Amino acid sequence: MEHRQDEELIADYQTGNEEALKMLFERYKKPIFNFALRMLGNRADAEDVTSEVFITLVTKKDAYKPTAKFSTWIFTVTRNASISKLRKRKKSFTMWFQKEDSKDYEQWEVPDNRLPSDNIVKNETKSQLSRAISNLPPEQREAIILREYHQMSYDQIKEIMNCSLDKVKILIYRAREQLRNELPSIISEEDNA
Amino acid sequence: MRDHEQIKQLISVYFDGAATPEEERIVLAHLKDCESCRKYWQEVKSISSSLKELPQEDLSPDLEQKINKKIRAVQDREEQKMKKKSYVGLGVGAGVVSFIVCLLVIQTHVKTGIQGKWRMAADDIGTEYAAARQQIELAKQNLQYETYYLEANYGQKGEMKAQPLPAPGEHQGYVDRRMKEIYARAGVDKKSATHGPRTLKKDSEPQSFMQIFGAGEKLEDGRSGSKSALYAYNAKGHRTRSAGGYQVEKGASYDVLHDDFSTAPAIEPSKRPVDRLKLREISVSEEIWPLPPRRREGDFNTEAYDRIYENGFKVVLDNPLSTFSIDVDTASYSNVRRFLNQGQLPPEDAVRIEEMVNYFVYDYPQPRGRDPFSINTEIAACPWNQNHQLALIGLQGKQLAANEIAPSNLVFLIDVSGSMNDRNKLPLLKSAFRMFVNQLHANERVSIVTYAGSAGLVLDSTRGANKGAIFSAIDRLHAGGSTAGGQGIQLAYDVAQRNFIPNGNNRVILATDGDFNVGMSSDADMVRLIEEKRNAGIFLSVLGFGTGNYKDAKMEKIADKGNGNYYYIDSENEARKVLVHELGSLLFTIAKDVKLQIEFNPSQVKAYRLIGYENRVMAKEDFNNDTKDAGELGAGHTVTALYEIVPAGSPEQYGDIDALKYQKQVVRRSNDFMTVKLRYKQPKGHRSQLISETIDRRDIRTRNVSENFNFATSVAEFGLLLRDSQFKGNANYDNVLNRARYSRGRDSWGYRTEFINLVEKAKSLQIPQYYNKPYYKGRDDNYIPRTHPMFKGHRE
Repeated sequence: MEHRQDEELIADYQTGNEEALKMLFERYKKPIFNFALRMLGNRADAEDVTSEVFITLVTKKDAYKPTAKFSTWIFTVTRNASISKLRKRKKSFTMWFQKEDSKDYEQWEVPDNRLPSDNIVKNETKSQLSRAISNLPPEQREAIILREYHQMSYDQIKEIMNCSLDKVKILIYRAREQLRNELPSIISEEDNA
Repeated sequence: MRDHEQIKQLISVYFDGAATPEEERIVLAHLKDCESCRKYWQEVKSISSSLKELPQEDLSPDLEQKINKKIRAVQDREEQKMKKKSYVGLGVGAGVVSFIVCLLVIQTHVKTGIQGKWRMAADDIGTEYAAARQQIELAKQNLQYETYYLEANYGQKGEMKAQPLPAPGEHQGYVDRRMKEIYARAGVDKKSATHGPRTLKKDSEPQSFMQIFGAGEKLEDGRSGSKSALYAYNAKGHRTRSAGGYQVEKGASYDVLHDDFSTAPAIEPSKRPVDRLKLREISVSEEIWPLPPRRREGDFNTEAYDRIYENGFKVVLDNPLSTFSIDVDTASYSNVRRFLNQGQLPPEDAVRIEEMVNYFVYDYPQPRGRDPFSINTEIAACPWNQNHQLALIGLQGKQLAANEIAPSNLVFLIDVSGSMNDRNKLPLLKSAFRMFVNQLHANERVSIVTYAGSAGLVLDSTRGANKGAIFSAIDRLHAGGSTAGGQGIQLAYDVAQRNFIPNGNNRVILATDGDFNVGMSSDADMVRLIEEKRNAGIFLSVLGFGTGNYKDAKMEKIADKGNGNYYYIDSENEARKVLVHELGSLLFTIAKDVKLQIEFNPSQVKAYRLIGYENRVMAKEDFNNDTKDAGELGAGHTVTALYEIVPAGSPEQYGDIDALKYQKQVVRRSNDFMTVKLRYKQPKGHRSQLISETIDRRDIRTRNVSENFNFATSVAEFGLLLRDSQFKGNANYDNVLNRARYSRGRDSWGYRTEFINLVEKAKSLQIPQYYNKPYYKGRDDNYIPRTHPMFKGHRE
C-alpha cells in the first residue's frame, strides 16, 4: 500500500477503501498544512483550512477525476479554501484595526529550545526568510511556495492557480527578484561558503 | 537592460526545468558570456536551496485528532443521510402505492360493487408486508453484528494463521443461510418479502406496483454497491443481494474480505477479487508485523501500537512457574514522555510498564565471581494493595573497564528521507551523533550509510582516532527524497561484513522515523536478512525519532529480531542518555538469551502476577530450550522485574476451578518463598548457563525498604495509572509522587527529577477533560454539539 501512487489510492478510496484515505491523509497532511500556513500566515487559520480540505476529500471524493494529478487537485482545493478564508478574514471586523500591510503575522515559528545554541544564527536566517516570504504579494508567494516548497511543476501551478503559464513564470520570477532584494545576507553568506 | 530582464526571467524558468529547448539554448549561450547573469543564476540557486531548508511545521497531534473526529462525524452523517434517502424513497413509493390502491378500490367498487373482499385482501397483504419488512430490517441489523463478530474474532492478531477465515463462498453461504433463516422466521419467503405485493399482481394489480418496488430495491442495491469495495467482484461472481451488499457496505469489511481471499483455498477464478496478488502480499506482511487490532471507527492516527493484554494473576498451585525473557528496551518511557510533554495522556497501549521501569538505572551491587551479572531480590508490601506483596528481581550487568571492551565496528544506517527533516529528527540525530563521536575510543570503527531515494555510503569505516573525518561526514548529512530502506540495510550489512571484527562488537544502528519502506520483495525477506546476519554475528539496534507516523510495534520487532536494543529519542537529553551514557549497554552485549524462570512456593504464595513483560512471556518449556531466542544484557545495564504477590493466607479467590478428582496436590511445607532461576549464554556461546537463587520467607522486608524498590514501584504504579490497568488497586498519583521524591537519591543526571515532573503533568491531565469541550458554556446542559444547525455556516 505504501508504495502506491496517490492516484491509485484515491481511486481505491472512491470505491470505498478507508485505508486509502488514511494513507492519503498521512501523505498530505503536512504539505497541505504548510501550504495553508504560508498562505494565511497563522496557525489557527491554517488548521481550519487543513481540516476543511480533508473533509472536502471525504464529502466530495468523487469530484476528483483522474484527468489531473491528485496533488494538483488537492492543492487546488487547499488554495480555494485558503482564499475564502482570507476573504472571510478581510470581512471580519478585526481588519478595521489591523491594516493588511501591518505585517503583524502571528508568531507561529515555535522557538526551538531543544537544539544547541549554535543554531541561533541559522534560526535567525530562517526567520528572516519566512518574514521575506510573508512580505511577498499573495500570488507571488503562492507561486514560489508551490514551486520551491512543494516541488510542483509549472503546469501544475498553472492548474492550481487557474491562470496562464506565462503568468506563473512571471510570478515566480518576480518573487525571486523580491526575495533577492530583501535577503542580501543569505545570498552573500552562500557565496562565501 | 530590458534584454537582461527578459533573460533573467528565462533563467528563472530554466532553473525550474520548464524552459523549451530553444529558450534553454538562449539561456546557456547567454550565461556563457554574461558575468552578471551568471551571478543571478547563483543567487536563484541559493535562494532556492535556503527555501527548501525551511522547516516544515508539524501538525499538532491535537489537530490530527480533531480532523479524524470531524471526518468520522461527516461519514456518519452521510451514512444517515443515505438511509434517510432510501426511507424517503420508500415512503414516496408507499404513498403512491396506497394512492393507486385507493383508486383501484374505488374503481372496482364502482365497477363490481364488491367492496369488502378487495379491501381486505389489500389490507392483509399490506400489513403483513410491512411487518415482515420491519422484521427483516431488524434481522439485517443483527446480521451485521454477526459479521462484525466474525470479523472481530477472526481478524484478531495472531489467530489469523491458525484459524483461516471461511472461504468467501462459505462466508457468503453463511450469510445467505442466515438470511434465509431470518426470512423464514419473518414468516415470508424471500421473494415475496423483497417484492412485496407481487403476489397481488397475479390477480389484477397494475404494473406500477412492481415498478415501484423494483425501483425501491434497486435503490437499495445501488447504495450498497456503490460503496462496496468489491462491487466489481460482486457483479462478476454472483451478484449478492442486500444481505451480502450490506455486509460489504457496513463493516469495515474490506479487511474481512481481504483476509478471506488471501487465506481461502482456491475457488472458482471468477470469484477471485480483482487484484489477488496485492492482497496476498498484504496478508503475508501481516503475519510478520502484526497490525494493531482493527478498531471499529477509522482511527487516523497512524502511530502503530500493539494491543497489550495485561498479565493476570496466576494461581501458584496451577502455574507454579513464571517464565519470561528480559527486556532492556526503554522506548516506551520516552514515548510516554513525548505525549505528556505535549499535554496529552499517552494511548494505553503505548505504555509498556517494564520499559518504563527499566528506563532508570538502579543501584544494585556489582557482580562478583565469574557470572556476568548479579541477581538481586527484594520483597515488601505492595504499595497499591496493602493485602499483597511485591517482589522485585533486579539484574546488574557487569561494568567493563575500558581495556575489557571488545573493539567495535559500528555501521550507522541513517534515514535521510524528506520526513527526517524535522528539527526533532535528523538535526537531533546529528547533534547526538557528535556527542557520541566525541567519546569514541581510538580503536572503534564507524561507518555511515544513508538511505533515501537511493542508498549511499557517506563514510566508509573510519577509526575513532580520526574524529575530524567523522564530524565532517555528519555535517554532510541532510534530508531529502523518499524512503527506501531495503537497499540501505543491505548496504549497511555489506559494510559491516567487510569490516567485520572477529570477537568484536559488530553492529548496525538504524536511525529512522519509522517509515521503513522495504525495497526488498517483502518484510519477510528483511526479517530473514536480519536474522541471518544476527547469526553471522552482526547485530542490529534501532533508534526511533519523530512523531505522528511512528511505527512503534514494527521498530521494536526489528530490533528484537536483530538481537538489538530499541530506543526512542525525543530530545537532546534522551539522545545523550542513549548514545553517551548507555554506550556500554547499547554496544557491548555481555550475555545473550537471558531468560528468567521463577518458581513460587504454594505454601507461601497463593497467586502472582508479572507486571509488564506482556510480550516477553515464554512457555515454561522454553526456559531450558537453548534454541529459543531471548533478550540481551549489555555491560553495566540493569534489568528489573516486579511481581505482585498474593500471600498464601489471603482469602481472595482466583480462578474458580473445581478440585481435581483423580489427582491430589501435595504441597511440601518449606520456608522458601520462591526460587529465581536464570539462564544466559555468553555473547558467542551456544550453550546456556544456569544460575539459581532461593529467597527465604524471612527475607521479606517490613521496614527499611530500599531506594531501588521504592523508585521501581513508583514507576510501575505510574504505569498502571497511565494504562488505567484493571490491577491498579489503590494506585494514585500522590503515592507515586511521594515515593518517587523520597527515593530520588543522588540522581546526578536528573532523570528521576524529570520523572517526578512527568507524574505531576500526568496528574494534572487527569482532571476530567470536561472543561475543554468545545462550546462548553459553563453548565452541563449548555453543551451544544458541533453538528447542531446553529453552527451551520459558522466558523467552527
